[in-house]
Amino acid sequence: MTELLTISGLSISARLADCDLRLLDDVDLAVRRGQIVGVVGESGSGKTTLARSVVGLLEKNVRVDGGSISLAGEQVVAPGVDLTAGVRGGQVGMVFQDASRSLNPLMKVRAHLAEVLHRHVPGIDKDEVRRRSVEVLEQMRITDTARVLDSYPHQLSGGLRQRVAIGLAVVTRPSLVIADECTTALDVTTQTKVVELFRTLVDELGIGLLFVTHDLMLASDLCDEIAVMSSGRVVEQGTALHVLESPEQDYTRRLLAAIPAWN
Amino acid sequence: MSELEIELAPHAGEPLKPAKDRRRRTSRTSVFWLGLPLGVITFLVFVLPLTGLLPDGGQDLTATRLPPAFLDGGTWAHPLGTNKLGQDGLTQLVESGRLTIMIGLVGALVAIGPGTLLGLLAGYCRGWVDKTISILIDAQLALPFILIALAIIANRGSSLPVLFLVLALTGWASCARVTRSATLSIRERQFVLGLRAAGASEARIVFRHVLPNLAGTVVALATLQVGTAILVESALSFLGLGVVPPHSSWGSMLAAGQDELSHSWWIAFFPGLAITVLVLLVNLIGDALLTHNDPRKRRR
Repeated sequence: MTELLTISGLSISARLADCDLRLLDDVDLAVRRGQIVGVVGESGSGKTTLARSVVGLLEKNVRVDGGSISLAGEQVVAPGVDLTAGVRGGQVGMVFQDASRSLNPLMKVRAHLAEVLHRHVPGIDKDEVRRRSVEVLEQMRITDTARVLDSYPHQLSGGLRQRVAIGLAVVTRPSLVIADECTTALDVTTQTKVVELFRTLVDELGIGLLFVTHDLMLASDLCDEIAVMSSGRVVEQGTALHVLESPEQDYTRRLLAAIPAWN
Repeated sequence: MSELEIELAPHAGEPLKPAKDRRRRTSRTSVFWLGLPLGVITFLVFVLPLTGLLPDGGQDLTATRLPPAFLDGGTWAHPLGTNKLGQDGLTQLVESGRLTIMIGLVGALVAIGPGTLLGLLAGYCRGWVDKTISILIDAQLALPFILIALAIIANRGSSLPVLFLVLALTGWASCARVTRSATLSIRERQFVLGLRAAGASEARIVFRHVLPNLAGTVVALATLQVGTAILVESALSFLGLGVVPPHSSWGSMLAAGQDELSHSWWIAFFPGLAITVLVLLVNLIGDALLTHNDPRKRRR
C-alpha cells in the first residue's frame, strides 16, 4: 500500500528568550491509506506539536531543524520549507480537542460547511454545497440533518458537535485526517461512538487517520499501529497488539501500569 | 420560622414566573420597545419643523424668560417657555435635536470605525503592528482631550467637520484598546486554529470570523460613544468651542441656560432632560442589541 504521510527524522525546536527547547527529536512516522496510526504519550510529550507540524500550525517561534514531512510523495515540510498552506483543509483535514470551542459560536453548521466547501471546491454552486453538506452529515451518522444544519454549535450536544467537527474535516474529501485529542472532552459512551465512526470512515473513504490521544486503551481499540511518544521522541512503535502485549520500553510499561484497573 | 412559611406560601406554586418575565424582556421585543421612543424622538426632531406646528423660533425681546405653559405666568404659545432672547424653547429644542442626533451618530462612527479597525489589526497581527498601534493608543490617551480640542479648534476654527475630527481623535483610542484586548482573546480561541487548519485565509478569519465575534463589544462601545460624543459636544459648546451661533445643539442650549439656572431653570432643564433621555435610550438599546447579537444569549 502506498504511503500517504511520511515523517522522517523530524526535529523541531522552539526559540525561547534564553534557550532553545527541543520539542520533537528525530521522529519517524508513516500513515498509509486506510490505516489508523495512534500517537500516544503524556502531556508535553510532543504529540500535538507533531500533529500540528503536518498542517503548519506551529507557533511563530517554533522552527523545523531537520527531517521532512511528505504527503503522497510530495515534500511539504523541511528545514526552511513550508508548503502546508496548500494542503491545509484540502488534502489534510484536522479535528481538534473540544468541538464546543472549535466551531465559530456565531455561525450555523450550514455556514461552517459552506465556508469550507467554497474555499476548497472552486466554482461550487449552492445546490452542490447543500447536497454535499447533507451527504457528509449522513456519513457522520447524523439522522436529522436538516435540524443540525440549521443549528448553532451551542444548540447541539457534545457528541453531535464533535461529529460536525469531523464532518468539517472530511467534507473536502481529504486523503489524511489528523485528530488531535478529539475524544478527550467527550464522555466514555460518546467516545466509543466517535471511535466507531472513525473506523467506518477510514474503511469507507479509504483515508489515513493520525489519531493523537493520551488514552492508551482508546488508541489500542481503534488504531492499527501505535507510536508511543515521550519527551519529543518516539520511544516505541508497532502494531497496537504488539505495543500493548509486549511493550519493549520501560516508559510504555509505566504508561500501561498507570491505567486504573477494575480490581 | 412559621412567619417565613406563611410569607413563602402564596408564591410556592409559581416559581417560573420571574424566568418568564425575564425572557419577555430580553432580545427582539426589548430592542423594539427601546427603539420605539428613540424612533419617535428622531422622527419628531426631523419632521416637526416641516409641519409648521411649532411656534415661531425668532427672537422676541418682549417675551423673554417666559416659564413653561404649566407654570404660573406661562402661555401655551410657548409650551416650554422662552430663553433670555425670547426664543421659543420647544422650537429650539426640536431644531437643536437634529444637530445633536447627527453629532452623536457621526461622532460615534468616526471614532468607532478607525478604533475598531486598528484594535483588530493590533490584536490579531501582534508583533510590530501591535507595538506601533499600542504606542499610538497610549500616546493618545496620555494627552488630555481638552488640550487636543483646543489645539485643533484654535488652528482650524469651530465648525462641524472640525468637531468630528476632534471626536474621532479623542474617541478612537479607548475603542482601539478595548477591541485589541477582545481580539487577543478571540484569536486564541480554538475555532480560529480550526479555521486556519481548514485552510481559511487570514483576511477571511479576521473579517468574517473574528470581527463578528467582536460585534457585541463594538455595538456596546458605539452606543457608549454616541453618549460620549453628545456630552463632549456639550462640553465644547459650553467653552464656546463646539456648536456656535447661529447653529445650536442641546449641549449649547444647556450651556446657555447654565447662567439662568437660579431664576429660569427651564432654559437648561429641557435640553438637559433631552440629552439624558437620548443617551439613556441609546445605551439601553446597545445593551439589548448585545444580547440580541449573540445566539447563545438569545432565547427562542
